[in-house]
Amino acid sequence: MIPPPDGGACVAMVGKDCVAIACDLRLGMQALTVSNNFPKIFSYGDVHLGLTGLATDVSTVSDLFRYKVNMYRLREERNISPQTMANLVSSSLYERRFGPYFVSPVIAGINQTSGKPFICGFDSIGCIDFAKDFIVSGTASDQLFGTCEGLWEPDLVSCACSGDMG
Amino acid sequence: MVYSGMGPDYRVLVDKARKVSHTGYKRVYNEYPPTRILVQDVARVMQEATQSGGVRPYGVSLLIAGWDDGIEPEAEGKDQEEHDEEKKKISGKTGGILKGGPSLYQVDPSGSYFPWKATAIGKSATSAKTFLEKRYTEGLELEDAIHIALLTLKETIEGEMNGDTVEIGIVGPPEDRLLGFEGVEGAQGPRFRKLSPQEVEDYLTNL
Amino acid sequence: MSSEWPDTLAAAPGQYAACGRGEEHGLGVHWEVLLGITGKDFTIIAASKAAMRGATVLKASDDKTRALNSHSLMAFSGEAGDTVQFAEFIQANIQLYSMRNSMELSPSATANFVRGELASALRSRRPYTVNLLLGGYDEIADKPTLYWIDYLASLAPVPYAAHGYAQYYCLSLLDKHHHPDIDFAQGMKILRMCSEELKRRLPIDFKGLMVKIITKDGIREEEYADDQNVAVP
Repeated sequence: MIPPPDGGACVAMVGKDCVAIACDLRLGMQALTVSNNFPKIFSYGDVHLGLTGLATDVSTVSDLFRYKVNMYRLREERNISPQTMANLVSSSLYERRFGPYFVSPVIAGINQTSGKPFICGFDSIGCIDFAKDFIVSGTASDQLFGTCEGLWEPDLVSCACSGDMG
Repeated sequence: MVYSGMGPDYRVLVDKARKVSHTGYKRVYNEYPPTRILVQDVARVMQEATQSGGVRPYGVSLLIAGWDDGIEPEAEGKDQEEHDEEKKKISGKTGGILKGGPSLYQVDPSGSYFPWKATAIGKSATSAKTFLEKRYTEGLELEDAIHIALLTLKETIEGEMNGDTVEIGIVGPPEDRLLGFEGVEGAQGPRFRKLSPQEVEDYLTNL
Repeated sequence: MSSEWPDTLAAAPGQYAACGRGEEHGLGVHWEVLLGITGKDFTIIAASKAAMRGATVLKASDDKTRALNSHSLMAFSGEAGDTVQFAEFIQANIQLYSMRNSMELSPSATANFVRGELASALRSRRPYTVNLLLGGYDEIADKPTLYWIDYLASLAPVPYAAHGYAQYYCLSLLDKHHHPDIDFAQGMKILRMCSEELKRRLPIDFKGLMVKIITKDGIREEEYADDQNVAVP
């Protein structure tokens, strides 16, 4: 599997009855910054999707899921759950197995039926990484890994969870 | 899923329903479609046959029964008493995300479909429905429901009723006791089972 | 399988930093200047006037812009042939929209449409190698707009932008001097700083800039004197 050309940083975390997801806002080419207003987290009802990687695919993939989730909501008259969204992302990315989108998605959300927080990450062809604690992705994933491994503990409350990434 | 009408058409529809619930749903979301979505898919197949060239409509009416995860009707009632004055809850009645429990649909050859609490299709459907109307109550127990169903059948069909001429299928919450083993975490029992001729016979003698 | 990928992606995916783009292969492409600046009630789009093929300047009064509708203007640079072909394709479709619906597409809708076309071309047999700036004036929000789009179809709304080598010279100047609420005179002053810096530092003569302004009254061309020499220290 060719690793995606990383760009940006994204982290999702589970706390006590909560999840947090954060990303940077930079759009750049190597050292040159083109924009400081390029969000990489997209919300689809109860589910939040973080996308790092090639900027054009970040936009393409986020638009694609906006379409798919809106169609799901119209068909089923309900919001998509984080778990269902995870499987949708996985199957949609694997559809492009031999010409993938260069993105590493992250999902964070709370399942409204069970009330339980849920996070997961993917590689660019849709292999799901279910994690109980945190998910990192992007060029800063090594640093985020270190920070999260050092600071994460079970049952963080919402302010501590988001403060972690400040 | 049961039918009334032409057997060969029904077999084709069963094949198509099974196929579409995988290609159009399980392979995308890794879960099986909710009953209503499956009913819509089957109804679409039947509707398209009424509008396409070179084909005739499917000569069957269907009853499709399902059981969905989510908040069941009784639990919902309890919940609302507890949270009496709390902010307006998403209720299962609006078909929201929490809607679960049993459901029953009728699908016609035209492609139109209707949700029912109890209904009948086939030759003497009208009299069967009249009969059901009198006997049906909210919150029926399974045993009573089977009893009423068999009574209705007895009133309206001609011919003998025995374990070989009557079939009973039950769709309900996962029955872990039918798994045949215990202690495997995450294992879910079957939601659908068909009564054996002997079991049907027992119910019939109790009528 | 990889032969089905567009050359630009199959070549070496690793080089595309994300949220961004890699190097282009067409010679001379980087030397073309595209500049965009927004202010309080205007957007300035400036494009170099040189039309180059390899080491030769073919024309010194090239117009690298197309008006899409009365309130949005697209400037383009990139591989010869692709540029005008793509720009006029977009122009035709945006104008068709205006005729069919008796209303104009907003600048943000236009930008997303352009991105969509470029993105689907990117994964086709032959992608367009075109970099774009989309200047506009949003009549509903009553605000000037500017969108930066590169040939990989990365789209970003920006207060000021450039393409090619001009980015390296101009973005730092703009970082220092730009504010969202500058008036037109200040905007032109910053543009002058940029063009002088480009003249001073770029190793080729890009034959000056063609400057167009988008305001609530529409698009107009601004006289832009660029015959005086710039002192190089």
